[in-house]
Amino acid sequence: MSYVPAIEVLDLHRSFGETKAVQGVSFEVLQGEIFSLLGPNGAGKTTTISMLCCLLRPDGGDARVMGYSIRSDPTGVKSVLGVVPQELALYEDLTARENLVFWGKMYGLRGAPLKARVDEVLEIIGLRDRSNERVGKYSGGMKRRVNIGVALLHKPKIIYMDEPTVGIDPQSRRNILDSVVALKNQGMTVLYTTHYMEEAQELSDRIAIMDHGNLIACGTNEQLVKLVGQQTRIDLTLNVEAGSILSAWQSVRGVARVSVEEDKISVLVDDSNQVLPRLFEAATRFSARITSVDIREPNLETVFLHLTGRALRD
Amino acid sequence: MKALDIALKDLTRSFRSPFAVLFMFGIPLLVTGMFYFMFGNIANEGEFNLPRTKVILANLDEGGPKFQINPKNIPGGKAAENMGELVVGVMQSEEMADLVEVSLASQAAAARTAVDRQDSQVAIIIPPDFSKQFADVDGEAVIEFYQDPTLTIGPGIIKSILNRFMDGMAGVKIAVNIFLDQAEPDETALVGQVVQQYLEISLAQSEDLEGELLEVRAPSSPQGNAAAEVSNPLLGIISPIMGGMMVFYAFFTGTSTAQSILKEEEERTLPRLFTTPTPQAAILSGKFLAVFLTVLVQVAVLLTAARLIFGIQWGDFLPVALIAAGIVFSASAFGIFVNSFLKNTRQAGVLFGGVLTMTGMLGMIGIFAMNSPAAAQMSDTVSLLVPQGWAVRGLLQAMNGQPVSSVLVSALVMLAWSAVFFLIGVWRFNKRYE
Repeated sequence: MSYVPAIEVLDLHRSFGETKAVQGVSFEVLQGEIFSLLGPNGAGKTTTISMLCCLLRPDGGDARVMGYSIRSDPTGVKSVLGVVPQELALYEDLTARENLVFWGKMYGLRGAPLKARVDEVLEIIGLRDRSNERVGKYSGGMKRRVNIGVALLHKPKIIYMDEPTVGIDPQSRRNILDSVVALKNQGMTVLYTTHYMEEAQELSDRIAIMDHGNLIACGTNEQLVKLVGQQTRIDLTLNVEAGSILSAWQSVRGVARVSVEEDKISVLVDDSNQVLPRLFEAATRFSARITSVDIREPNLETVFLHLTGRALRD
Repeated sequence: MKALDIALKDLTRSFRSPFAVLFMFGIPLLVTGMFYFMFGNIANEGEFNLPRTKVILANLDEGGPKFQINPKNIPGGKAAENMGELVVGVMQSEEMADLVEVSLASQAAAARTAVDRQDSQVAIIIPPDFSKQFADVDGEAVIEFYQDPTLTIGPGIIKSILNRFMDGMAGVKIAVNIFLDQAEPDETALVGQVVQQYLEISLAQSEDLEGELLEVRAPSSPQGNAAAEVSNPLLGIISPIMGGMMVFYAFFTGTSTAQSILKEEEERTLPRLFTTPTPQAAILSGKFLAVFLTVLVQVAVLLTAARLIFGIQWGDFLPVALIAAGIVFSASAFGIFVNSFLKNTRQAGVLFGGVLTMTGMLGMIGIFAMNSPAAAQMSDTVSLLVPQGWAVRGLLQAMNGQPVSSVLVSALVMLAWSAVFFLIGVWRFNKRYE
């Protein structure tokens, strides 16, 4: 990993009407690292990525991608980037090979080098044997692999992957995560967005957590977890509506935060051994019975809960 | 180069779609083919094939005043002893042989019975006083026309021929009466010459009856398809229909293909294209080029296929090429223009059902009104409010062999439409994606 920034993001802003999608986001991505933008849906991850690949013009701020400004040199930016969009962006009535040939031409490849590179990419994504089938006949996972393959054609220095594992089966997801690691091992810089905490935790050298258009934390997994100290998250369910129990629990000594998602209550505590009996006691006072308890060691979910007061999946 | 790559990719996609191919080529040829088979029975190697009408004639005419009639003027070359024989002569003339098969009956009842038994389709009964009534100033010469009520076309033609003949005879009668009123006593001997003169005119008209009643009219100075129509009237019916279908579906294809811009936006391939180092101008040019090339292929294939399948004579090369280019440009530009106003492909239903069908039908209205001169004049004006109308007009001009200068006007108007549509469409799309 090189400590020269591949991407420098400087105070990016973007609004859609009254909605402020990105509000002054700044971060750096180092060459050769996997950098994840983690946040719930609507956090501003895709808007940030869209500005970084010059699909959207920022209202304010700038970013440099391998030294090219997204404002003044979008063609330069695009030439060093490979983009894997969140949704499949392929021609389903063309074969995988025809798709790759077409997209290769769009990246400026021609003739024998194009043919050779298409064969290489088909090998990488494991679809060489079925390359002459129309993409429309592929499974969701296979389509995802072609979707990634398109971004690799011109051997980009940086690849943006916008939630590439949404809506696919576990096996295909595993393949994609492995391929991301393989790309990093080849020296590629990966900017990865996800709302799956486990993916960010597993893949990333560094993670930036976004919420409501703001970047609220950035660092390695360990650095982020330290933000919550020794706090532990306890997930509980009750046999009754939470109601006023929530405020009672919030005032229990040792409780940092309480949040509710559907029928599950997440409580962030300093010491679960000491706090848990108090939570039971408080529930009993309200004639409620705790029906399940799940104690979780600090992780990115805990960090998000700690920073925003909400669970990551909200 | 990248624009061409995008265009070729779009062409591949278009021609891989069975739906698109069906609408581009199948439907226009199919509709024309339906008309071809519907009206095909009126043409047989370029000639009419109307079955001959069986006519039975009962000439009971007992004669009247003798006119000096030269036998050379009587159909069949025989001198007529009375007016009834004149009618029989006309019906038995060579000119009528393609239309009627005449037999004679000695009595009126026998003639009627022949029709009742369906041995004949028409009975013409000339009454005994036919010549006398004709000669009488106040008289009324009437022929009985007895026909099979289930038949219309054949008897209708015979009836029309008889009416024309009788009108001619009435003219002769009027001429004689006027002459007798005005002539000096010593000039009455000239009445025969008067009759002769008017009879010649009347009979000359009668000889033309078949042509008058059955001719498929062609525009003056027929060339190209019009010349072919004279020998094969079926072409006169299907050629404008094929032309109209081609124009209608060329605009359909232009609009449908241009819709691929919106479709790619929804399929997310267009935004992905914008993330490649391909300039926006090249991307949009490629999309527009694809529309143009698709319509070009469609028009070229339809022109050729219609020529080979139906034998349609489109006209001389230059006028047809001018109009074909006009159709390609205007249909493509119209498609780009219309789609630039749509937010998404869901709005395309309204577009196809409303705008495209309405303007298409308006453009073709001249074809539907071709056989009604009054309606044709009005519909020609109305149809020119839309580009399809100019395209149809230009095609018909080329088919009718009109000079390049006339066709050029239509082509230039279409190119002007195209320029306006294209500029607005390009401006809107550029604005949309900037």
